[in-house]
Amino acid sequence: MNTENIDKSLFTFAAFDEMESEHIAAPRYSYWKSVWKTFFKNKFTVAVAVLLIVVVAFALIQPTRSGYSPINTPNINNAELKFLKPSAEHIFGTDHVGNEVFDAVWAGARNSIIISFVCTAINMLVGIPVGALWGFSKKMDKWMIEVYNIISNVPFLLLAMILSYVLGAGMRSLIITMTCTEWIYVAYFIRTQVMIIRDREYNMASKCLGTRTWTMILKNILPYLISVIMTYVSRQIPSLISYEVFLSYMGLGLGTTNASLGQSISLYTSYMNGYPHLFWIPVGVLAFISISLYIVGQKLADAADPRTHM
Amino acid sequence: MRKGYIWKRLLRSVVSILVIMLIVFTMVYTMIPRDNIFFEDSTYRKLGGKSDDKTEYVYTTWEKLGYLDYVRINDYCLTLYEAGSPEMIAAIEPDSPESRDFVEYYSSQGYTIANYLKSGRYYAYKDIPVIKRMASWLGHLFVIDTPWSVQDETNPDLERSLRFGTTPTGGLALIGSGTTHKYLLYTDSRFPFIHQNIITMNFGTSYPTYQGLDVLKVLFQSQGTEVKRPVTFETGYEAESGIIFGSLKYKSVLDRMDMKKFTDHYANYETQKGQPSMIGTSFIMGLFAMVLAYVLGLPIGVLMARNKDKFADKLGMVYIIFIIAVPSLAYIYLFRYLGTTLFNLPSVFTTYGPEDIRSWILPIISLALPSIASLMLWTRRYVVDQMNSDYVKFAKAKGLNQREIFSGHIFKNAIIPIAQGIPASLAACITGAIITESIYSVGGMGKMLPNAIKQYNNIMVVALAFIFSTVSVLSVLAGDIVLTKVDPRISLSEKAGRS
Repeated sequence: MNTENIDKSLFTFAAFDEMESEHIAAPRYSYWKSVWKTFFKNKFTVAVAVLLIVVVAFALIQPTRSGYSPINTPNINNAELKFLKPSAEHIFGTDHVGNEVFDAVWAGARNSIIISFVCTAINMLVGIPVGALWGFSKKMDKWMIEVYNIISNVPFLLLAMILSYVLGAGMRSLIITMTCTEWIYVAYFIRTQVMIIRDREYNMASKCLGTRTWTMILKNILPYLISVIMTYVSRQIPSLISYEVFLSYMGLGLGTTNASLGQSISLYTSYMNGYPHLFWIPVGVLAFISISLYIVGQKLADAADPRTHM
Repeated sequence: MRKGYIWKRLLRSVVSILVIMLIVFTMVYTMIPRDNIFFEDSTYRKLGGKSDDKTEYVYTTWEKLGYLDYVRINDYCLTLYEAGSPEMIAAIEPDSPESRDFVEYYSSQGYTIANYLKSGRYYAYKDIPVIKRMASWLGHLFVIDTPWSVQDETNPDLERSLRFGTTPTGGLALIGSGTTHKYLLYTDSRFPFIHQNIITMNFGTSYPTYQGLDVLKVLFQSQGTEVKRPVTFETGYEAESGIIFGSLKYKSVLDRMDMKKFTDHYANYETQKGQPSMIGTSFIMGLFAMVLAYVLGLPIGVLMARNKDKFADKLGMVYIIFIIAVPSLAYIYLFRYLGTTLFNLPSVFTTYGPEDIRSWILPIISLALPSIASLMLWTRRYVVDQMNSDYVKFAKAKGLNQREIFSGHIFKNAIIPIAQGIPASLAACITGAIITESIYSVGGMGKMLPNAIKQYNNIMVVALAFIFSTVSVLSVLAGDIVLTKVDPRISLSEKAGRS
């Protein structure tokens, strides 16, 4: 090949770069980008997620428009407006005091969603760090097991009752009831997960190199647990909604002045045989929210596992 | 596993139970307003607005329940004068010198002094600290029956002895005199065939609901109507009665019927009733539900794992998601609706009562539904994990077929964590199921705790908290022991293993 004809001014000498020589050509990998990419691959999940967002947004906005409150019963003396079946005019029908079930259900859904989200956030924020440390330290384990025994065995109904006494029934006392013992179950779950990977070789090596405990927990262990934690969250939210239903059924829920799905379900239970729509509509809305939250959460958890990114 | 570990763990469990009880005592006795206990008390409601009787009733009740120590001026003057004497009558009036002494003495002891609203006479009370209250509860928890247990002033010649003999039904017995129970140790045809009354537990007397009944009796005694059978009493008297001879207890004042039936002072007895006790009902229901759950949950879980991502697996997942996402209240109603319309089963337990097997079917199925789902989920998880492990690949390479691998290798390993949960599920049977029992109106344990809390039956709350927490803490320990039995590789003690 003749090199004489090439214009030498087109070339410059490159300086010797030590860093450049270390560079390994590999495809760029961003963890979160891969998570979203994997998540959006499944059309069904995306559809469920979009529907879920629409429903949640609707539940958050609709009650502010309708201004529904269970103590407002303008139609209580109008027998014609009671127990109406669902129709074009009354989408979900009307209940025993002549209120729109549609408004009641969405106002209830709003409170139930807020409660379950706030409680899940609190439980996770407290439970994960405690659980991580608990699983990591054998000394702590010995004592925390007894703390776990104690907290999980104090009758929670008694606790719920006393809290509603001291703080009065309402959103605040319900959130405290649903978090003051729940966090220990999250911590216990995380503890077991941490214990499983605590003694793996890479962690022992890291320990030998002098990594501090918190750095190990944050950098070596927790990233491993993201998918497990997401699975847990996706189960926790529906289970907290069920828990709220249970507490309302026991008369320890939000109180009669606030709407909630639990309140509606336990209230309409008695009309189940005569007016089944009163019972099944709130249950259906609740089931839809719970199931779709669960599915989206599970799929997010799958996507969060780096092994699915290949 | 080392013996020392179990002992240490037991000791720690006892400490945990004590702490739980302290928390429960604190909550019950300091955080719930003490006036609330009278909400469900009919005697209290009958007492007029501001009468001294009401004050008297309120304070004696509080004293009986252990809230406070209560002293009346009458009690104080009785230590000085004889009852009914003129000095006594003068002394209890509010302006007497004795009343001044009373006020001075008790206020120096830290008591609060108050006057009855009508008569103006003095009384004093002092709160008992929670720790002291709990200590006295613990001190009375176990009662040992000895020939000196009965101290009856009306019967000073009571013989104090122990001898061997037989019960009227022909069982062997250790018979006491001067003891609270007549038969301290006896055999009969009821499960568990050998019974003892030497050490009994005393949780106190229920109040304000089930008023005057012993808490343990409320929970453990058979319910319903008496089952009568022809009985010959020791005197030769024959009658139809549901008497349980083993339950005979000392009775101070005998009536005519007692004298006809018994030769001695042991004339208080319990009767056999037709329906199982509260705890029995819940346990039978829980046990069958648990068996059903394991019988269905385990094989279906394995089936799902073997057909991972195929139709059977997906169908199973739909069921699991349904159970997780729908509140139990809703799916129990759904299954009840299906059961009553499709199979014509009774919608409540009380329609046919516990004698009829149809009453049990729907509650047991409802109770088993969530356990089946969670057993399916975890069995599937564990089996899938085992299927991916190296030893299974090796077994395959050795030439074992699918069935051999499953029964000989995978199942044995996957069952380990599930076996650990069995004692806990057994323990959960006695706690009862709140929602299931209330939907089907089953007379079991489930409603006891919520009702006791709602009706301010503090004695019952404390007793239930103790029973439930003891059973649950011990079942966790039992679960760990089962774990080491099914998998000898696991060690619980710190030193033996690496982790």
